[in-house]
Amino acid sequence: MKFNVGIDIGGTFTDLICVSSEGKTIVHKTLSTPHDSSEGFINGIREISEMVGESFENFVSSIDTIVHGTTVATNSLLTLKGAKTALITTKGFRDALEMRRGIREEQYNNRYKNVTPLAPRYLRFTVDERIDSEGEVVKKFNEKELLPIIQKIKDEKVESVAICFMNSYKNSSHEKRAVNFLRKKLPGIFVTASFEVLPSIRFYERVSTTTVSAFVGPIVVKYLDNLTQKLETINFKGTLLIMQSNGGVVVPEQVKKNPAVTVLSGPAAAPTAGAFYSKMFGYKNCITVDMGGTSFDAAIVIDNQCVTSTEGKINRYRIALPSLDIITIGAGGGSIGWINNGGLLQMGPQSAGALPGPVCYDSGGAIPACTDADLILGYLNPDFFAGGKLKLNKAKAEKAINDELALKLGLSVLETAAGMFRIINNNMAQGVREISVERGYDPREFLFIVAGGAGSIHSSEICKELEIPMFLVPNVSSIFCAAGMLLGDLKHDFIRSYFTSFNNLDREKFLLFFNEMKEDGIKALVDEEGVLREQISFYPILDIRYIGQYHEVPLEASWDDVMNYNLSTIFELFHNEHNRQYGYSLKEEGTEMELINLRLRVVGKTEKPNFLSANIKSIPAELAIKEHRQVFVPELNSMKKVAVYDGDKPIFGSIIKGPCVIEKITTSVFVSEIYDCVVDDFGSFIVYEKAKFPEGFLLGKKIDEAYAY
Amino acid sequence: MLIDKILVSIFQRAFKSITDEMSISLTKTTRSPILCEAKDFVTGLYDAKGQMLEQTENLPILSFSLGPVCKVIIDQYGNDIHEGDVIIHNDVFSMGNQNNDVAIFKPIFYENTLVGWSAAKGHQADIGGAVQGGYNPNATEVWQEAIRIPAVKLYDNGKLRKDVWNLIFANIRLQMVQEDIKAQIGACTLGQRRLQTFVSKYGLDVFEMHKLALFDSTEKMMRSEIKNIPNGIYTGESMVYYDGKHKGSKFPVRAEIMVNNEEIIFDFSKSSSQTKGFVNGTYTSSCSAITLTFLQMVNPNIPHNEGMIKPLKYIVPEGTILNASYPAATTFGNHLCPQIADAIFKALGPAIPEKVTAGWNHLLCSLFTGNHPRTGKKYVDICFLGMKGGSGAMKGHDGYDHIGMIDASGGVLDQDYEMYEQQTPYTILQHEYLCDSGGAGQWRGGMGTITQIILKGHDTTMVVFGDGDVEPNYGLFGGKGSVLNKIELSFPNGEKYIPMSKDMIHGIPDNTLYYQIAGGGGGYGNPKKRDKEKVLQDLKNELVSKESAEKIYGLKKIKV
Repeated sequence: MKFNVGIDIGGTFTDLICVSSEGKTIVHKTLSTPHDSSEGFINGIREISEMVGESFENFVSSIDTIVHGTTVATNSLLTLKGAKTALITTKGFRDALEMRRGIREEQYNNRYKNVTPLAPRYLRFTVDERIDSEGEVVKKFNEKELLPIIQKIKDEKVESVAICFMNSYKNSSHEKRAVNFLRKKLPGIFVTASFEVLPSIRFYERVSTTTVSAFVGPIVVKYLDNLTQKLETINFKGTLLIMQSNGGVVVPEQVKKNPAVTVLSGPAAAPTAGAFYSKMFGYKNCITVDMGGTSFDAAIVIDNQCVTSTEGKINRYRIALPSLDIITIGAGGGSIGWINNGGLLQMGPQSAGALPGPVCYDSGGAIPACTDADLILGYLNPDFFAGGKLKLNKAKAEKAINDELALKLGLSVLETAAGMFRIINNNMAQGVREISVERGYDPREFLFIVAGGAGSIHSSEICKELEIPMFLVPNVSSIFCAAGMLLGDLKHDFIRSYFTSFNNLDREKFLLFFNEMKEDGIKALVDEEGVLREQISFYPILDIRYIGQYHEVPLEASWDDVMNYNLSTIFELFHNEHNRQYGYSLKEEGTEMELINLRLRVVGKTEKPNFLSANIKSIPAELAIKEHRQVFVPELNSMKKVAVYDGDKPIFGSIIKGPCVIEKITTSVFVSEIYDCVVDDFGSFIVYEKAKFPEGFLLGKKIDEAYAY
Repeated sequence: MLIDKILVSIFQRAFKSITDEMSISLTKTTRSPILCEAKDFVTGLYDAKGQMLEQTENLPILSFSLGPVCKVIIDQYGNDIHEGDVIIHNDVFSMGNQNNDVAIFKPIFYENTLVGWSAAKGHQADIGGAVQGGYNPNATEVWQEAIRIPAVKLYDNGKLRKDVWNLIFANIRLQMVQEDIKAQIGACTLGQRRLQTFVSKYGLDVFEMHKLALFDSTEKMMRSEIKNIPNGIYTGESMVYYDGKHKGSKFPVRAEIMVNNEEIIFDFSKSSSQTKGFVNGTYTSSCSAITLTFLQMVNPNIPHNEGMIKPLKYIVPEGTILNASYPAATTFGNHLCPQIADAIFKALGPAIPEKVTAGWNHLLCSLFTGNHPRTGKKYVDICFLGMKGGSGAMKGHDGYDHIGMIDASGGVLDQDYEMYEQQTPYTILQHEYLCDSGGAGQWRGGMGTITQIILKGHDTTMVVFGDGDVEPNYGLFGGKGSVLNKIELSFPNGEKYIPMSKDMIHGIPDNTLYYQIAGGGGGYGNPKKRDKEKVLQDLKNELVSKESAEKIYGLKKIKV
């Protein structure tokens, strides 16, 4: 038997999923080891081997693939613990990185600080070279100019160097010479240039992304080297793949060339898993939400594809590489409740974090958080949190809510907790609105998939607010991201800037650029990742706009249309896409269009694990009732005694009437008054508006089959 | 009815989400870079009486620009307001703020009752008048600047009034403006639909009651902020230089601020009388400038609704430079914001020294038009990247570098250099912080910049507008001022030209060097008291010279 393992390392827990070649799935959580997260990684594998009942050595040797999402780069940007980084750029442009085009995000806040530049000004050097806007050399580059800079880099013990010259997207010869020279003269120091990271027009996006790559580079490389070495010592012979921000996976060697591709490595897996699940349920489109301890992520999947964007920022640092479009808001189990000086209750975005955590964790937290409210409202069982691993202190939570909030609001503890619940749900609903409505999509037409331990308590109310008729809590909800890692394909993104009006487009050049990118992709996939040529496919994207516009539309075209130079088809697609996004097109007016960038995504299909349905006999839901307890029912605006089901029992096919709570070791689902729930034979919970089942729903065959029990 | 306090919080978030959504829609659908790039527009929701429910002003100078117009419209139309009406307005003599800022209002009905208004106002690329774009330094009357649009229905009961539409747009040069007005109507429709859904969800009574509770709660927040200011009368003065007509002319702006417990009155009666040129404010632009300056001194998280502005009183009499009488030219009015802000900060400095900032860099800006030699097409460019200086420092905080004028407070972005070199025929030689440009102080002013650009192409025209080239930004409490703004053209024949702060230069030849300094912000507190580590850091980063570090900051013997 062979195994695939997905590993997602978070702040508190390391999540693992192991799927056997026969389709058997094991889900496991182990404590993270922040001092060296590869330790938790290996611990997790060891614990899984015990659950499988194999010796560690045997188990390791039967692992085909390990897919890993890492937060090393993310955390380095969030905590500003990265390499000591220098930037070398064209004379006259020393400050573009720090200026960030002169933005202050909070316009009325004079205490608001600019971000700390990842390369401080004294480590930003310039050389007197220049390439003009047409790619012609107007000032020659001379390596000698680098000599004093190299000396300073050595004196200052710089660990990483980024190079970004003006207009290098048109002509990278100067950057190439600089990077070669520096790598030769500075052995052991990480050196990267913008043509390797993001060879596209827009100096600010390029210099920022390149510097991010240099800043996180040495840490990511060191982490991956350490990890591969550890895997070698346990005799792992399979393939290690790393999740990228674009939802695809690559081998570690590829990541080392451009470490910035991993800044969203963790959260990118949720929509990737969402794309898989929605397909399984016969849906093309879905919204995935992931509510953790401090944040709430929302993403959308359209036509079974995750939506990518090049508008990404982390901690206000601009990263223009293609990343999955994910909205993050400060709403999680740790989000704290507070009262503003207008006397209104607010939730978050500040969080109690994992330590000290919500008051009920009893680890010294004193400020009431979302989890405290969830506990008082009866959604959480104080003796069965994480399967009983963590006892929750309800009395302390009540006291904190009373002292900090209820007294000031003139409300009871229960009313206050219900208010906290309502407000945070409303905040999350606005986040979902942002990723859907504000991007021109109606969330009611999407399958709503809930991930993360805390999400399924709140999803009834989020969906009610948005009039979403149904949501799905997958059986692997709590480790959804780890599962998503096993579902990613090998993906490589390439870009060539070619700024021209279509009237002046040169066919040969256009095709040459695409063929170059294609060859680069094949090289990476076949030579370095061992993919078979026939498993490779190509997805071209053209960044186009009407002449005179400022914002371009990334347009997906087919490889055939590109190779056959079918411009009229491409124009038609552009008008349609512009119309869909912005509500109008200028087709009738005959407005000329211009091209900004050519992109190519090269995808190598990976083998997907075979998730197996639970092939065991189901029991009627009534037999899974653990207890009846008082739970807050929003529709009644009061507590009510409702049934609590054991969600780990096989209750496939039964209809469970809301309001109720379904408890699993890893998560709890709250089904409110207007919803009912049915469990499919994968063990996933489908919660739907009472009146709307079964007609009008596309639950897929799985439900019908489940009814056969 | 009992007020559900939790619901009040939810109302606030929902209103904010609606105006934000309107704003995103407008960013994506407008065509003029002033709208989709510089985001010079505002979206808002108002109740049936014209009271602000929420507003998303992308540029703070628009913070006060919609509410007064809404009230004008309600007065004008009385009962003649129907579902499907669309009303357009720009008139500066009936509460418009700037001729180019054109507002669209849509009434919102719930079961045949008027419950509110959705509105959007944006700075249009053209508004008729003598000069394309509206900035006419020679104007002395409104008609030389723009077409006046007092409140008029574009749609009546859902039906387009094609004759009115044609009349208006026959007086505006660019087709693009029609498209952008359509985009504004679209954003208002979005707001209308969402507020309708919202009211029908909760019912009219709940909506009305909780809306008022939200105003009350916000007003309470604002009043508690004002209460923190000691009672008294505070005065401050600043100077506007050159009206575009008379060399050496100057016009004082005088603030008298009365704080009385929980109320604050901003009285600008003693300011100069209006100018003969276009350097004049309107009531609404001046009140916006007052509001945005005051908002910088209070908790930035106070919601933007009627409750926020209720405790603020404005006295800006007609006939002054801040509220010019009919039919004066007023296009420059928004750019009097820096002087208004200066006067307020200077006045309140002694009362709330921990909340005011030293002087911000004043705007001095160039607008280029010419023919692109490579494409053969006309281009228009506002040199945003060159005009942005630093903000003033405040107690405990250095100023913000390269943020630009206080009217925008970091809301207008630089062009990207490489995109700029594609869209104009120019070559950028330099765009960097200018050493020693941040006013010295215990807390340093934000850095100014130096910009050098080679202007290519023949027969380029440049319009200059702004200020800050006569009097340096001021420091506070011992802090120093910053360097002056400066623009200089070096022609290929070796001659140089330094434009006036309001100027128009025609026929600029190929290969002219454009040089601009945008000054930094003023410093706060005695520079000798600045944390030595910070001085050393600034020195290491070459933001402060060795000479200044020693002479002004008092560092002894520096080894470099």
